[in-house]
This record gives sequence, structure tokens and C-alpha cells, in this order.
Amino acid sequence: MQLPLQQEQRSQQSHLSDRVARSVFLICALLLIAVILGVFVFMGLNAARVFGEGASLQGFFFNANWDPIGASGTVSYGAGGLILGSIVITILSVVIATPLSFGMALFFTELCPPWFARLLQPLIEIFTGMPSVVIGFLGLTILVPFVGQIFGPLEGGIQTAGFGWGSATLVLIIMILPTIISVSIDTLHAVPDSVREASLALGSSRWQMMIRAVIPAASTGLGTAVVLGMARAIGETLAVALVLGGEQLPRKLTPFIFFQPNVNITQVIAIQFPDASGAARDAYWTLGFVLLIISFLFICISRYLASRSVYK
Amino acid sequence: MSTQVAQAPSPQSEHIAELAALSRRQRTSNGVALAVLWVISGFVALLFVAIIVLLIVRGFAYLIQPSFYGAGQAGIGSELFNTFYILILTEIFLFPISLAAAIYLIEYTPAGRFVTIVHFAAETLAGVPSIVLGLFGVLVFSDLLGLHTSRLAGALTLLCLNFPISLRLFEDALASVPRDLREAGLALGGTKWHVIRTAVIPSALPGLTTSLILSAGKIIGEAAALLFTMGLVNPSNVFTLDPTIASDTLTSHLYFILGPGGGSTSLTHAQELAISAGSAGLLIVILLVINIVARSLGRYIQHRVTAA
Repeated sequence: MQLPLQQEQRSQQSHLSDRVARSVFLICALLLIAVILGVFVFMGLNAARVFGEGASLQGFFFNANWDPIGASGTVSYGAGGLILGSIVITILSVVIATPLSFGMALFFTELCPPWFARLLQPLIEIFTGMPSVVIGFLGLTILVPFVGQIFGPLEGGIQTAGFGWGSATLVLIIMILPTIISVSIDTLHAVPDSVREASLALGSSRWQMMIRAVIPAASTGLGTAVVLGMARAIGETLAVALVLGGEQLPRKLTPFIFFQPNVNITQVIAIQFPDASGAARDAYWTLGFVLLIISFLFICISRYLASRSVYK
Repeated sequence: MSTQVAQAPSPQSEHIAELAALSRRQRTSNGVALAVLWVISGFVALLFVAIIVLLIVRGFAYLIQPSFYGAGQAGIGSELFNTFYILILTEIFLFPISLAAAIYLIEYTPAGRFVTIVHFAAETLAGVPSIVLGLFGVLVFSDLLGLHTSRLAGALTLLCLNFPISLRLFEDALASVPRDLREAGLALGGTKWHVIRTAVIPSALPGLTTSLILSAGKIIGEAAALLFTMGLVNPSNVFTLDPTIASDTLTSHLYFILGPGGGSTSLTHAQELAISAGSAGLLIVILLVINIVARSLGRYIQHRVTAA
């Protein structure tokens, strides 16, 4: 039997549209790869330019005099203070947020009564998507005056004592808590109940079961959670920028440095980049590229950890 | 057991006392640890609730005033318009592109090297700080493509920023469609594209809608990527559909008032406070609404799936 001509035509048509659709979809998937390659290529190429304009590699990373616009007369590309700022507030906030997050995640998966879980889950989800400028608003209007009232008198009545690494760390904790909590919860949920049952059957108390069986079983996943929190912390911009309030690393490194206007990488980009032009702009591409590389390293570490975890 | 009994002088009672002490210690440490977990979780939960309540309470007085939504300097009418404009403009790019990419990954290609590479690219892109994507947007969209600081440059930057998240959400939505639906379609002689169009997408529609709403929340809350690509100030004729003009949004205007633009505009200090508190309150209300809608949609889907 032969197919009628019309039907054959229709079949050909639908096969053609299938092929067209397929290639359109493929292009969209490839676009994602193109975007991330583009980010690395464009940021990388422009990041290198500043070193042809008088900046030295060593000076960029270890000098703390940041003035690419030349406001004080001489142009200087020392990003050491900015990088130090980012590292200090990231590490501090992660160190404080991690035990809180693990505690909350353990509570959520092992202890929480269902009615409480139904309240907690939307709360965590809302905070995961919390706009950073809103937290910055609260930081600036509530946290900064509060911290300033406590530490201003200690420093001899400085008006700006509320700004600085101290407030930035507190703001960052709020921003990264939901990230670490939700990744940890997913990891703990992935640990099969048989692990818990085995531990309890051996006579463990609930706490022993958590600390000796569940946490070791989920250790790589919990590591991923911490690394993702660090990635979020290092790139966090507006909330931090509003409460840092400085232009340079303070000259004298005293313990009060946490309560003096200070800088980090993202704050400097956000505040100074719009005013920069020409050669000065090149210095900010380099800062952006440094952030890009750091966050890429974090993602690689988190992927490595995730690939080693037993329960997914 | 028997050897222990032979060695110890008064074996039985001492051993039992030892075990009882061990059990007591265990019970105490267990109680303390669980109490600590309760306290930590209660503290974090209270902190989160307090922040939301504080934002709404501080903004409430302004949110109920009609003049707060006015178009002038002292109102946020233009920012509200811009926020929804940029949301729709971004979704026009984001929705079809990430849906198409998700369809390719789920329907057309078997799990393997290509999928791994795309997922690695997506994870890396999701990890790029939004301020860095803002700089990338300046380099590529503003300078290279000649869009300058404009709504279009902003929307394209937001596309790059939200692509990986939308892709993951759409992939999940498509993957939850049962296999036999596809097999039935293909067995009836349909081409793959025909089956996707007529069977897979319709049954994934609630999931896709939820994903769309969640990505809308991300777009509304984003500001750092827009600082340099879309600008911080409005031209005089802001209520147009022209994508080539620079404009602000609720979030970037909030940042402008609090940070670089504070005191430089014609606003009084009280007006600045009103706008910042009001915008923050409005943002949190929008976010809550989005979360509730996405959540109830999700429940509706589950209900439909389990009822079927």
C-alpha cells in the first residue's frame, strides 16, 4: 500500500519541524555555555589591561593604597586592603553562621515537630531570596547606629564607629544563613533512615545518633553547604557596601579596626566604578576578575565535595 | 561476662552502678544537646520573623498612603513601573530560552557528557557574583553591543544572571512528567517535538508556572547587576515602553537613596526615610505574595497529581 500524497507531505513537514525545534533547543543550551565562557574571556582580557598601565602584580595584591582615579594626586592600584576586607568578613561570617546553620538543619530534619517545620520552611525560602539591598537598609538604619552606640564611646566618641567589618559581618551572616541551612537540610534529608535506625538500635541517644552517625554520613554535603555559603558571602554586594562605609583600609591596625569605616572588593566596585573612566576603569575589571576566580574556585571545591558524597 | 565476674571483688553491683552512671551521663548530654538545638533554631527563626515584621511595620505607614505611589520624586510610582517593566522584558528573553534549553537537556539528549558540561556551566554561572555579571554586562551589552546604560542592557544582564536558576527549575518541572505520557505519544506515531508540544508541556504547565513565579521574585529583588547596566536615575519621560532609556527599579532606587544618592536629590531627609522604609516594606510584601502564590500552586499540582 502507498501512503496518500497529502499524508506523506504532512509526515515530512512534521519531521522537518522536529529537526528545526531540536536545533533551536540545542542552540539555547549552548548559549549557557557561551555566556559563562564569555564572562571568563571578557573579564580576563580586560583584567589584564591594568598591568600594562603601571600596576605591578605584586603591588596590586599586597599594597593597600587603592586610588585608581588619582583623587589624592597619584594613581595607585593597591588592592591588598580590599582583598583583605573581603577575606576577613567572609571567613568571620561563615565561622559564625556555620554552627548556627548546622544546628538549625539538624533540628529541622531530626527533631522538629511537623507544625513547626511547616512554619520554618517558607521562612527559610523567603530569606534565600531576600534582596540584599533590603538587608542593607536594615543594617544601615538599625544595626549601624546600634553598633556605633556601643563601640563609639570605647574609641573616644567617633561618630562612624557603627560602620566597618563588624557590621558587615553581622549583615553577611543574615545573608548566608539561609543558603547554608537549606543546602544542609537537603544533605541531611538524603541520609537514609537506615543509618539512623542502625545507630539507635545500638543504644545511642538521639544526640549520639546525630553526631556519630548522621553528621559523618553527611559530612561532604555539609562541606558543600559551607563552601556555597562562602561563595555567596564573598560576592555579596549591596548589603555589605551600605554598612562598610569606607574608602581605604584604616592606616592603624588596632582591634578597633572592626568598628571603623572600611572596605572590601564588592563595596569598592559598587560605589566607585560609576565614577571611573578610561584607565581607572581597567582596575575595576581586575577586581571583578579576582572575585570571579575566587567564586569559581569555591564552585569547583563544592562540586568536588558533592561528587565524593555517598548519599545524594 | 563470666571472666569479669571472677576478677572483680563485688562485681555485679559495681558494674551495674557504672552502667547506670554511663546511662545518666548519656541522658544528660543528650538533653543538653537537644536543648541547644532548640535554642539555636528558635533564635534563628525569631530573628527571621523579627526582620520581616520590622520591615512591614516600618513601611506600613507609607504603604497605605496613596501619595507614596505617586510618579514624582517623593513617590515610587516610576520605580514600580520600571520594576515590572524590567521583569516582563527579562522574562521575554529568559522564559523561552531557558525552557528551550531545559527541553533539550531533558527530552532530546541522554544523560552523559554534554549534560554534565551544561550543568557545570550552569553551576559556575550561578556562582558568579551578581556585581561581576554587572561588570560583564557593561563590557558586552553596554560597550560592545552599543546599548549603553539602558533597560535592554539591564534585561540582558538579568538574563545571564537568572539563566542557570530558571534552567534548573524548568528541568525539574519537565522531569516530573511521567515517562508513560511520552511513550504513549511516541507510540501513536508523533514526532518528538509534537509529543513535547501536545503532551509534555501541558502536563508540566503548573510546574513551569511555579518556576516562572520564583524567577520573577529573583528578578524583582536584584539590584547589584543593574547598577551599571541600567543606571540609577530616571529620565523625565519614564512611563514609556522604550527599552533604550536608562532607568532605576525599586531595589536600585532604594540603594541610591541610602548610598551614593543620599542627600544629593531634592528630597528632604524625612522623604528619603519614607521612600526607603516604604520601598523595603513593599519589596518584602511582594516577595511574601510571590512565595505564597508559588507555594499554593505547588500544592494544587500535588493535589491534581495525587487525585488523578
